[in-house]
Amino acid sequence: MNGHVKSMNFQQRAETAATLLCFLLLLAVDSTKTVAAARNRECSSDLERTLRLTKLIHRQTGVLIKTYKAFQGEMGPGVCKATGFDVPDPNISGLEPSERMASMYTHLQAFSSHLKRVQEQQTDLQLPGSIVLRKINESRVQNKRLSSSINSLYHTFFPNLPLPEPAGGPTTLPPPQTVFQQKIYGCVVLTTYKVFLANMSKNVKTLKSKMCRKAPKSTSNSGR
Amino acid sequence: MNGIWLKKRYPPKRATNISCVAEQKENEPSFPVLSCTWETVGHQTKDEQTTYTLMVEIPFPRLNRADCITGVFCKGIINRTETYTSSPTPHNKASVSFGSFPHHMNLDIWVVSQSSLGKIESEHLRQDAHYFVKTSAPSNVKVIVEQSFPTSLLVKWQHPIDQVYIKLTSQIRFCQDGSLDWRYVDVPNADTSVQTSFRLQDLQPGKDYVIQVRCKNVRRNRGYWSDWSDSVTEKTPEDRPTSKPDLWWKSENGEAQLICKEPKFSNGRITAYSIKLRYTKKEGEQEIIPVNGSGTQQSVDQKPVTLLKRISLADKPSVRVCVAAINSVGTSPEACLHIPAKPSGTQTVEGMNVSTLDGQMFVEWKQPNSAAVTEYVIEWMSNGKIDWQRERNSTNKTAIKGKLQPYVCYNVSVYPIQSGFIRKPARLEAYLKQGAPSEGPSTQSNPAYYSAELWWNPIPLDKRRGFITNYTIFYQKDHQLKNITVPGNITSYDLTNLSGNTKYDVWITASTIAGSGKGISHSFTTLKYAPEMVAGVVVGVSLGFLFFVLMTTLLCFYKKEVIKKNLWPQIPNPGESTIGNWSPDYPSKVETPKENCVTGVCVLNVGVCEVTPGFEEDKTSLSLKKDKYLSEEHSSGIFGSSCMSSPRQSVSDSDEGPDLADSTASTVQYSSVVASSGYKGQNPAPQPQHSIFSRSESTQPLLDSEEHPDIVQEGSRQVQCSPRESLFTHGAENQNTIESDNCRLLGMEQHDFCPLKEEAEQTTESDSQSADAESASPLSSYMPQLGGYRPQ
Repeated sequence: MNGHVKSMNFQQRAETAATLLCFLLLLAVDSTKTVAAARNRECSSDLERTLRLTKLIHRQTGVLIKTYKAFQGEMGPGVCKATGFDVPDPNISGLEPSERMASMYTHLQAFSSHLKRVQEQQTDLQLPGSIVLRKINESRVQNKRLSSSINSLYHTFFPNLPLPEPAGGPTTLPPPQTVFQQKIYGCVVLTTYKVFLANMSKNVKTLKSKMCRKAPKSTSNSGR
Repeated sequence: MNGIWLKKRYPPKRATNISCVAEQKENEPSFPVLSCTWETVGHQTKDEQTTYTLMVEIPFPRLNRADCITGVFCKGIINRTETYTSSPTPHNKASVSFGSFPHHMNLDIWVVSQSSLGKIESEHLRQDAHYFVKTSAPSNVKVIVEQSFPTSLLVKWQHPIDQVYIKLTSQIRFCQDGSLDWRYVDVPNADTSVQTSFRLQDLQPGKDYVIQVRCKNVRRNRGYWSDWSDSVTEKTPEDRPTSKPDLWWKSENGEAQLICKEPKFSNGRITAYSIKLRYTKKEGEQEIIPVNGSGTQQSVDQKPVTLLKRISLADKPSVRVCVAAINSVGTSPEACLHIPAKPSGTQTVEGMNVSTLDGQMFVEWKQPNSAAVTEYVIEWMSNGKIDWQRERNSTNKTAIKGKLQPYVCYNVSVYPIQSGFIRKPARLEAYLKQGAPSEGPSTQSNPAYYSAELWWNPIPLDKRRGFITNYTIFYQKDHQLKNITVPGNITSYDLTNLSGNTKYDVWITASTIAGSGKGISHSFTTLKYAPEMVAGVVVGVSLGFLFFVLMTTLLCFYKKEVIKKNLWPQIPNPGESTIGNWSPDYPSKVETPKENCVTGVCVLNVGVCEVTPGFEEDKTSLSLKKDKYLSEEHSSGIFGSSCMSSPRQSVSDSDEGPDLADSTASTVQYSSVVASSGYKGQNPAPQPQHSIFSRSESTQPLLDSEEHPDIVQEGSRQVQCSPRESLFTHGAENQNTIESDNCRLLGMEQHDFCPLKEEAEQTTESDSQSADAESASPLSSYMPQLGGYRPQ
């Protein structure tokens, strides 16, 4: 055989290999797109669920406040906005999504302690089985779920970032109070908690738009 | 004793196909209880029971324990996992209670099966909590009517739970009142809000609609549909009718009845119909006929049939009718029909057949080749009720759409219509379903000796329940039962080969293809004697009687002398007698009787008055003197004339045997005249002196005409046999009998004696008188001897 034939064979094989390589690259790119789309759907779904839960708790807290006020007797206007009870700040801090998410989590943890204190105080002030006690308990349960959800999302989105400790240290609760002070304290906690939830709702919505690419909505009217 | 106890056991049965639902608590946005059911797989012995525990956990999104990063944070998450557990149960269902339903959270559900051999977990069911939610039905459903939109209704409702909990989607269903044909509409939701109102469109004006709403989680494959809300019924506004009324006709009693149904799209309540009749080319006047309930008939398909008008077509060949329906908004298009007095022309529809299948009646026919049929009208009628439906001209088989009743006879007709002209129909009778007749025919009979004629009336149509295929006649004598089957089109039959004077029980059953109906039992008894027997007896008796009569006649004829001798004594012929004058002052001469002459026979007049009151009395009175009639009074002749001769016995006793006519040896004074005209018992009137009575020497009494020839004899009387006049001095009873017998033999009739009684009275009254009185009655008392007289 002459050398020309040998070089032609090599060229043919090289072309075939290049074609195969390109095909494989396309597959890899497409799979990454699919994975990315799947991840976006899950991202959107998880954050959407968290957002809805936040809104639900916000609505429930508003109903709780009305119920709480009805069972505390006559309280003057503006009482629920009093200061000096070491109630957590309702604003969410941080610039990065991770920081804001961590802030949400720490705020939820702090409000959980205060809600527990309010429940303890109201247990002494209300009749057993009172609707106030039931709703405060429900609020605590929902708080735990929301904080667990945020925690889970944090670890999902930021698996290599540990959740930072609260800046001010563990939550401090007010000293023993009079009955009147307890009533005011409870109203202040619930009112502040509601403001926090509203802020949290906005932040989660912002996080969703930032951290998850837009996925097609899968809403349909057909049911089981 | 040592040993090893072996017990058979199975591993616990595993739970599969777990299905859970959390129902909303009434009027609260909470779902407190999650109830689950599952199926079990595996075996189990009776003494080893598997218990099941329902486990519900709220895991964190996309974070399970295996993937959790060990550390402070993950540990905290695991510790805060919510787990709910049911009580162990041997059944395949359990429930757990949530203090607060985990909205917008995932649930991890599984069932742990446990027995003495261990535990088995089922497959985990991991779904969003709203996957299991069933909300309450929507509330406060309202339907708003808008007059400007007659084909639309606006529906509003309230969701059972705020969308902050669950975003819901709704579904509406609606149907016309009375119909079960629901139509479903999915209410679309906007992106940001849920819809709680919807406008239903393309509805029929003037109709009642029933509307219901239900809701579900807006997300696909999540949640269960709620129950339907309470029904709300509203009526759409009315609109002008947009279709023609269904016009038809019915012929009854020589007149045409115009009937119609409401238009298909009446769009409201039809209040009246306008009718135009045209008998000639000239347009007729329009007539408005209001609709009321009295003139309507409910057709079998629930659509009212209205009787519009009755038209007499006696003197008209046809009429063109145009009808339009009117409601509160307007008038419908006109429907026209050309009705002939009699559908004419050749029958264009052939091969008509009616059949039933699966509770429906089908009609099929052959389409005509040449006739330009525009449509067909299928009509069915029963019990005076009529209904119809229209079919296109291309149709040759259809099912009757109306509600037909089984066991009812329908007259089904197929009318071809040519551009509104009704042509000659094809007709058949049919049943949707045949049954056995509800009663049998009642039997009547006309029995004879060997046979009996039976007849019966056809069963009424409403009791027939089918086409009668045959009748079976059952007749029973004692315990013998026989039957005969006859075709269903006959109503009489002659039973033969029966026994006479026997009671039969007979009944008739009428049969259809579905069964038989038994009639009432009827009894009859055959004649005791056959007419032939009776006729034979009568003929025999008659013949025997005739034979007897003939023989008697012959006997009489041949033995007439003997009979005469026995029955009629010899009466001398007056024509051969010598009449001598004699006077009552002088004793009667005793003359020697001539030969062959009966003399001296004294005939005593019994007296008419004693005889005539009653013939029986006379017999009884006379029977006392049966043997011999002795008279103390003397009478002679027929008229009771007195006889001066000494009383003598007048003997005319047949028992004495010898014929007086034959005895010539003894002279018997035939008659003696007593000078007394008085009746027996009466004082005799003084007799005129020297009354001369002619006396005959014959043994025959004197005729009145001979005694008193100057007296006109009145017409001959037919009474020739008079019991009051005893020509023979005989026993009165026998005398009367013999006389009547003689009368019969002579073919004479006995007459009533009453008139003679008058004569007798006259006679008695005038006894004191002269012979004029005596002559008044002689003719009736004279009984000529016919064949009995023997010349002396």
